[in-house]
Formats: sequence, C-alpha cells, structure tokens
Amino acid sequence: MLRVTNIDVAYKDVQVLWDVTFEVNQGEFVALLGANGAGKTTTLNAISGLLKVKKGSIEFLGKDITQLPGYKIAELGIIHVPEGRRLFPEMTVRENLEMGSLFPEAKAKRKDTMKKIFEQFPILEEKQYKEAGTLSGGQQQMLALGRGLMALPKLLILDEPSLGLAPVLVTQIFEQIKEINNEGVTVLQVEQNVVQTLKMCHRAYVLENGKIYTQGTGEKLLNDEHIKQAYLGI
Amino acid sequence: MEDAWIKFGQTVICGILLGGMYSLIAIGMTLIMGVMKIVNLAHGALVMVGMYVVYICATNYGIDPYIGMFIAMPVLFFLGCLIQKYMINRLVEVDSILPENQVLLTVGIMLVLTEGIRLFFKSDYRSVVTSYSSDTLYIGAMSISVPLVIGFIIAMAFTFLLHMFLTKSDLGKSIRATAQDRDAAIFMGVNSSKITMITFGLGAALAAAGGSLLLPLFYLFPDVGHLFTAKSFIITILGGLGSTWGAAIGGLVIGLSESLGATYISMGYKDVVGLVMFILVLLFLPGGIRSLVKR
Ligand SMILES: Nc1ncnc2c1ncn2[C@@H]1O[C@H](COP(=O)(O)OP(=O)(O)OP(=O)(O)O)[C@@H](O)[C@H]1O
Ligand SMILES: [Mg+2]
Repeated sequence: MLRVTNIDVAYKDVQVLWDVTFEVNQGEFVALLGANGAGKTTTLNAISGLLKVKKGSIEFLGKDITQLPGYKIAELGIIHVPEGRRLFPEMTVRENLEMGSLFPEAKAKRKDTMKKIFEQFPILEEKQYKEAGTLSGGQQQMLALGRGLMALPKLLILDEPSLGLAPVLVTQIFEQIKEINNEGVTVLQVEQNVVQTLKMCHRAYVLENGKIYTQGTGEKLLNDEHIKQAYLGI
Repeated sequence: MEDAWIKFGQTVICGILLGGMYSLIAIGMTLIMGVMKIVNLAHGALVMVGMYVVYICATNYGIDPYIGMFIAMPVLFFLGCLIQKYMINRLVEVDSILPENQVLLTVGIMLVLTEGIRLFFKSDYRSVVTSYSSDTLYIGAMSISVPLVIGFIIAMAFTFLLHMFLTKSDLGKSIRATAQDRDAAIFMGVNSSKITMITFGLGAALAAAGGSLLLPLFYLFPDVGHLFTAKSFIITILGGLGSTWGAAIGGLVIGLSESLGATYISMGYKDVVGLVMFILVLLFLPGGIRSLVKR
C-alpha cells in the first residue's frame, strides 16, 4: 500500500535520514520505533509531504507521491495525526472534527462519521461545543484521533499518540487504535512505548540515527537482544 | 448643562459609528495577520486604492459610492490575491528570509501603490459629493451625519456576514484552521497556499469596503493610506493580534476615543488620542482585548 524506497531527507544542510526503506501493506498495523531524535517524525513528515525528500521515492497505492504537495497526499487518503496532537485550539471540538472531513467523500458522510466517533469517544460529544484548547491531554488525543478518522483515511499515520498520557490512558488509546485497525484502517504508528506497541502491531521497523536498523514481527523484535538492551532496559 | 449632555451624546454616537468602519478595515488586517503572521503595512494603501476605485466610479460614471463599493471590493480582492501570490509568496518560499522580514516587502508594496496612484491622480485632495453627503439625522436634539449612520450599518452587516462565513463555511473554517496551525491544516487536506491567497484577497476587499464607506467623510489623496495603516495597526494591537472580535471592538474604542479627543481636547489632537491608547495598551494590556475575554 505504502512503499518508501531509499529516501534521504535533510533540514537545510543537515541530513537526518539515510536510505530509509520500508513498506506498509493493506490492513496492516506497522510500528516505527526509535529513540528521541532518531528521525521518526521526519520520516512521517516526508510521507505526508511536509518535507521534501532529497533522494528516493514514496509510493502510495501504486502512485508516486514523492513530489505531491501535502494537501493532495491527504486527499489520496493518507491522514497524519501529528506529534503533540496539533489541534486547532481556538476552534470547538465539533469544528475540529469538521476540519477532518473537507473532501467531498468524507464531507458527504460527515454526520454519520461524527456520530460513530461520538460513540467511540463519548467525552467528545459531551464537550463538542468547547474549544479544543480547553480539553485535557487525553481528551485532546482522542480528538486528534477522531479528527483523523473523520477523513475516512485509508492509511492512518499516528505520531506518538501516547505522548504525555497517564499509563491507564495509554492502554485505552492503544486499544482504540487496535480497534480502528481491526475495522480495516491501515495504521502506521510511531512510538516510544516500545513493549506495548510491539505486542500490538503486526510488524515493526526500528530507526536508529536516521537509518533502518532492523525490522520484523512484534514477537521477533521483543526477543531481539539489541532491542531488549537499547529500548527495554533488560 | 443640557447642551453639554447633547454634545457628549453626539460625540459618543459619532465616535462609535466612525469606529464601526475602522473595525471593518482592521478586521481585514487582522485576518491577514492571523494566516500569514505578518503585519500588512500595505493595508492602508489598499484602503486608498479601494477609495479611488469608488471615486472613479462616482466621478466618471456617476455610480453612487455605496454601489461603487461592490465594484471596489472584487477589484481589491483580485489585486490582493495577485499581490499575495506573485509578490509576498515569492519571499515566503525563500528559507533564508525570515517571516519577520516579509513585512519589509509590504512597505515596498505600499510605496508602489501610493506612488502609482499619485502618477494618475496627482496629490490633489478629492472628495465625492452626493445628494445626501451633508444630510443629518436627529436623535432628540443630537444631530448625526447620515453617511456615518449608513456606513456604520453596512460595516456591521459586513462584520456579521464575515463572522458567519468564518464560523459556518468550510472555506471560512479552513482560514481559521490555517491561522491556528498551518501544518495541521495541511494534514487535513487544506491547500494552505490557496487559503493564504484568498485570505489576503479577502482582507483587501474588506479594506476596500471600509474605505468606500469612509469616502463621503474623508478627503481622498494618495497618502491617505498611511492614516489607515496606522489606525488598523493600533486597532489590531488593541484587539489582540489575530483576533477578529478584538479588532471589531478595538475599532469602536479607537473611533470613540478619537471623537472624544476631537471634541474635548482639540481637532488637531484626535489622532494622538489613538496613539496614547496604543501605548497604554502595550503597557498595561499587552494581550489586547482578546486577553480580557479569555480571562
Ligand atoms: N525543523 C528542524 N530543523 C532542523 N533539524 C531538525 C528539525 N526537526 C528535527 N530536526 C533534527 O532531526 C533529527 C530527527 O528528528 P525527529 O523529530 O525526526 O526525531 P524523532 O525520532 O521524531 O524524535 P522524538 O522521539 O523526540 O519525537 C533530530 O536530530 C532533530 O534535531
Ligand atoms: Mg518525533
């Protein structure tokens, strides 16, 4: 579904990604793991067109999207839920959700999708007329997820959805993501919460200093000696 | 005693009416600032160009200024879009030019517009006279100029329509979203370059609307724009940067204080009152009116 081939990405003269290659198949739940500054967010921003790649290509559903502007990539069905939620703080919860469904197809189903999201996250319905900036961290994360789902994404890209949440909430959010994936949405998730993510995903890639260090099924990586040492502190 | 109250009431009402038109112009500047994060120092020049469009319509074709406004608005919308897309946007794409420095380009645009108009119209003071220019309306013993009243009503109608547009339509919401978080808006599929262009056009159209409404009240000359740039800048700061409601209220406050200043201090000092308010706000309420609303 998504194929990233040998991409190099740089901020001005500072190169951050080297030869990164990976793919995500239809229906899969793929995790991209790595330490702070490994280049995970950079990779996601390159996919969703916010950053230009220096070299290499990105393909989605057989179409080359390397040079497309960000809004066109979203239109193809790649929806990015960014690190730190990045809601529209002075718009209401409802308006934030509406902003997720701008394209004709999603707009036609706006009401129905919103109803489904309110069922999944009842707190959002309760707070629908409150400004997004007034929500708690967990509620904001739910809204960020909900806003992404409003677009009826084919591929949902999640950048550290557990960031700053209490452990109970992390488990809750992860369960909800799993459910979204079970309903047929392909998920590419960046996480620092390594154990929980590996237990939940189908496959994972590990990024170290801007290069793909290793990959495999969650189970395989959980038993990898290097991973245990570097990320699990065992 | 009685007379003093009449004078006071008249001053207050005229100030608020005038302020409503200032609000409209300042809201245009605020919208542009919200999305582009720069102060558009060419804003007053856009007001001025809009006024000349109405002037031409009135003197050459006999079109009433309030109808001419509906010609000036699309013209300025188009001009604003062109300026944004082919001039300002060029700079935005150059990484080494900081956004703060894009402001300098708007000064350049202001000069080009002002001198371009001077080329055709000289520096002569002009005005549009209509049958109702000097009509007055009486509220009790207070006399209020008719163009002030009409201008205020139209300005408030536009402010209301703009509010509906920004809160009810997807395009309006995309403008607010882009102002609040451009990258997140792109992730949601917003074509942010297009939105920026439209916003600049919209801001210019509002400038033209405000200018048209003020035309029966002000003399028109190429440098009149500076006055409006200064006023809208003060109002924008007073309202709280990027806040449309703040700008709307800020406009009324400035109109009111100018009017009080002109009546009770001296006609010549009326603009000083606005500047004093500006400094007081910077000193004591740096977040503007918006920070009051947010508690
Ligand atoms: N806008 C930027 N300009 C310059 N360098 C940047 C920029 N953003 C990130 N970097 C650098 O790129 C590298 C990778 O950053 P990135 O944000 O992709 O890491 P990450 O894996 O997402 O980290 P984290 O887990 O902390 O979010 C870091 O060394 C960082 O300093
Ligand atoms: Mg990151």
